[in-house]
Amino acid sequence: MMRPLPIAACLALAFTVHAPAAVAQQTVAGDADNGRMLTYTCVGCHGIEGYKNAYPHYHVPKIGGQSSEFLANALTEYRNGTRKHPTMEVQAQSFSDQDIADIAAFLSSLTQ
Amino acid sequence: MKTSALGLAAALGASLLLVACGGAPAEPGTTRAQTVNALPQGRIAEGEARANVKSAATGQTCLECHGAEGNAPLDPTYPKIGGQYRDYIAHALQAYRSGDRQHALMSNQAADLDDQQIADLAAYFASRPAQIRDLHGVHSIN
Repeated sequence: MMRPLPIAACLALAFTVHAPAAVAQQTVAGDADNGRMLTYTCVGCHGIEGYKNAYPHYHVPKIGGQSSEFLANALTEYRNGTRKHPTMEVQAQSFSDQDIADIAAFLSSLTQ
Repeated sequence: MKTSALGLAAALGASLLLVACGGAPAEPGTTRAQTVNALPQGRIAEGEARANVKSAATGQTCLECHGAEGNAPLDPTYPKIGGQYRDYIAHALQAYRSGDRQHALMSNQAADLDDQQIADLAAYFASRPAQIRDLHGVHSIN
């Protein structure tokens, strides 16, 4: 009766597979061209001049030209739920580490 | 004696009502508005001075991490904040202060800021030249 070992192994595997990255995977190289395709949705809020968040009421931030590290951290924190914003948490849920790296690569390449 | 006791009770009741309605005047330096719109008017010059004041909690100023005019972050994980929207900067500081948003340095940096200081800092950094931009037109062909 060696049941505990397989159970422990299963648990370990489950945690390994499902544990989300605590911080952005800096080792993932971003593809800015793919990031360009992934960011059409972002424009609906971040691309309308003067557009404001519903509540609390403030301008949706300027994110083009921020560093890829900052952007990847922000998206990863939204995906993990450690940074709060209803819309951004939902948006980030669907992104893989590669998607986040790609989006960060594209947005960080933007200049004035 | 009886009238003064009555007056005292009335004053006490009135002050309790004020507190309950959130209208009690807070001491300077202790107001903690929850939304951007509840902040006082920001002042650029006072914000610039505040951006150079070392935080008691972290021993660092805003500019020591975010760089000159908020546009030269010392670490790539720190954002550029020069030219960011005034109300967004204020919102971020309010969120760090309340604990809604967490960062090893910023949570402590914002913890002791009062509403006027947040409004001033937001006014100053928003007034600096922007190296960041919104996404208007970034997908157009030309």
